Amino acid sequence: MPRYVLAVRGGLLAALLLFSPLVNGMTSAAHAAAPADALMPIEKYTTEKAKSLANTHRLRLLEFSEQIYNCMPWLFVYPGRLGFPREKENGGDDRYLSTWIWVDQREDPVFAKLPQERRASAMFSRYGVDMLRRMAALSDVVDDSDVAGLSVVVSWLKPGTTRPGQKAVNETLALFVDKATAADFLAKRVAAEEFVSRARFNLFDGETLVGRVPLQVWEDSFNSTYKLSNYDPPKGAQCQ
Amino acid sequence: MRAWLSLASFLGGIVLLTSACATSEEWSEWRGHTTHFASGTHGMFSMRNNKDGSNPRVARTDVDAARAENWWGKAITVSPEQIFQN
Repeated sequence: MPRYVLAVRGGLLAALLLFSPLVNGMTSAAHAAAPADALMPIEKYTTEKAKSLANTHRLRLLEFSEQIYNCMPWLFVYPGRLGFPREKENGGDDRYLSTWIWVDQREDPVFAKLPQERRASAMFSRYGVDMLRRMAALSDVVDDSDVAGLSVVVSWLKPGTTRPGQKAVNETLALFVDKATAADFLAKRVAAEEFVSRARFNLFDGETLVGRVPLQVWEDSFNSTYKLSNYDPPKGAQCQ
Repeated sequence: MRAWLSLASFLGGIVLLTSACATSEEWSEWRGHTTHFASGTHGMFSMRNNKDGSNPRVARTDVDAARAENWWGKAITVSPEQIFQN
């Protein structure tokens, strides 16, 4: 091989070695912005009440987003879907502290065999309730008189839709509940059945509204106790 | 004859139920802390942890990179406007 070709190759390799940390650093920086991306931009809110809530509690929501991002990498908060939206069917301006998460999970044959409403029950019990608990713990936010309740939206891949050549589909459960019911349920003063009867929720199959399904809620500590093997949270992350 | 038909339908029903739905044993396994369920990301962790046996550490940025290369964001999903008003 001619010497100049070797020289050029050597130079390219050196350039790659020199610049790759920079490129990696830039990539990391872009990903590091993810927790902030989860917050709904203030300019998107349509009422002063909502804008005020978003301004007042921005730092707390950012901390909340960082905790999910750093400590629960199997979850993903949809960009702009952590904030204070109102329920679509609600004509007033009742604002809910709301988080929309996507659960990263592989195809699982047992999960795939479950009827759709059972899958919704399982995902809400496992992830939705824990999200409600974590949001309820933001007492300064929840105690704000302009916050009417809590909302959690959980999306996951519909089993069997990830095969090659198919378009993947997410199933989504969106739930809204008033503050008092949420607090009573989490403190076990209200039974799961009563919580379900008071909550307003809908299941979606892709973009299609399935509606209110027979939701069952049970104890599932997975999300609060699971530790991903070999996973190192970013330095400084406070994971509980 | 009728008794045989009833028995056959009963057994057929059991076969159908156990094949179409998760058995209670499978269900309880799922409800337990299964590591295969919440994997962190599709295939990435099992690939990194199991194939070469070296169990390298996984950082948050690895999860982002794996997701960026995957299809998660392309799945058909309900639009926020079907759920919320801003």
